[in-house]
Amino acid sequence: MHNGIIIGAGPAGLTAAVTCAENGLDVIVLDEYMRAGGRLLGQLYEQPDGKWWNGIKESERLFQQAVDLGVQFRFGTAVSNIEYLDDMWVIYTEKEVLQTSNLLLATGAAESPVPVPGWTLPGVMSVGAAQVMTNVHRVKPGERGVIIGINVLSAAIAMELQLAGVEVASLTLPRMSEVTDVEAHPKEVMDSLLHVSHMAPSPFVKLGSKFMKGDFMKKMGAAFYPKNGVKMWDIPIQLRKAVIEIYGENQVEGVTLATINSKGDVVPGTEENIAADFVCIAGGLYPLAELAAIAGCPFYLVEELGGYVPLHSEEMETTLDGLYVAGNITGIEGAKVAAAQGHVAGLSIARNNGIRSLDYKIMDAIQHVKTTRDHAYIQFHPQIQKGRSKIQDQWNTYQRNVQEV
Amino acid sequence: MQKNNMIICRCEEVTYADLKKTKEKYNCTARELKLRTRAGMGYCGGRTCRSAVDKIASSLEKQKEKDIIPLKYQPPVRPVSFADLGGEHK
Repeated sequence: MHNGIIIGAGPAGLTAAVTCAENGLDVIVLDEYMRAGGRLLGQLYEQPDGKWWNGIKESERLFQQAVDLGVQFRFGTAVSNIEYLDDMWVIYTEKEVLQTSNLLLATGAAESPVPVPGWTLPGVMSVGAAQVMTNVHRVKPGERGVIIGINVLSAAIAMELQLAGVEVASLTLPRMSEVTDVEAHPKEVMDSLLHVSHMAPSPFVKLGSKFMKGDFMKKMGAAFYPKNGVKMWDIPIQLRKAVIEIYGENQVEGVTLATINSKGDVVPGTEENIAADFVCIAGGLYPLAELAAIAGCPFYLVEELGGYVPLHSEEMETTLDGLYVAGNITGIEGAKVAAAQGHVAGLSIARNNGIRSLDYKIMDAIQHVKTTRDHAYIQFHPQIQKGRSKIQDQWNTYQRNVQEV
Repeated sequence: MQKNNMIICRCEEVTYADLKKTKEKYNCTARELKLRTRAGMGYCGGRTCRSAVDKIASSLEKQKEKDIIPLKYQPPVRPVSFADLGGEHK
């Protein structure tokens, strides 16, 4: 028996574990990966103050802090099912069944696939996989790659690949089909990039430095977009081209690119082949909420948060007794926001375990989530604040309906 | 490779054409599309193709329901060996 169980050892789960342990709780953290950190592990970028954000170091620091406080960890442990029985949450893993009265789901996010002809060839991977190979395992995914899908995440990872000495031949779009959404539409993609630049500091503005701020954004704004693309950190970004096929005999040998018009349609006869030994697919992130769905949480689709999100309060409670959420399962945001949410969840769990005088701390912690969001360096969605309000409204409506019944 | 031959569900080897044809023929929801083609019902539990199957199906629907996840999640959400399920540990 533990006072609390946390599923997910990313920034949210680790911070929640530390907070619980600081309040004297006996907690255990489960993660299907073999080490702590979650998506934080892959992150490596320069912050506006010139300091480097190193996800691996950040993960180790949080993990060590938790271990020092007596938090237990089970790595390589996937949770296949959870259910509520006799006022307890029962957690099924491959090897054991655990029980707790307080369960935190900090399962993070997963990458959306973008099917492209040839995407089943060896050498095609998600952009997050390329990031983990490069930054965590220190293995080059290849010598020369093409990234399909242009968004904040793929641009940041393209830069990381370059830092590791991997050539990125092109950042480009997938061809439009029914399985692609806005990610194949040049105008939509451009708009989202421009939103990014309007918002707080962004990786485009900062990492691409003067070039991005001046030349790149001007070109994008004024002349829609040059056919041959522009370059960011020497990586060609091609919003006017789309990958129509990934080719290769037994593995990736290259991609066929074609010019597309502003509606996203292919201009016939413009096909050209680009050699590459690996291809990354970047469809963006969505909240990984399978366990919340199984548990029976009500959901709401909030595009600004990246997809279907379980209803939750600012205290990080779900509508179910003793079930909490924190981090990207509540919407796609950066690691610092996830950690701040983890802190709130940890305090809520402590309060639910009978630890007194936490109300003010919880209010402060909620405020800290908002401040962190406002100062976020990477904004995954320009309207994140709007998305947060939507889910708050849904929570309030749900609570009102429950009270009336 | 033609766009139509593109595999959407790797586990069950369901192509884009299979899904499109089925959708057009039966005018079906994401769930029905899954059941008719087996897309998303293989070893990985739909963790790769789920959103693609959902998108193909929902392009027919007028408006997405905001409070219902189109394809239901069911345990186990990760692959579990028969031995572990049956409790016959060795």
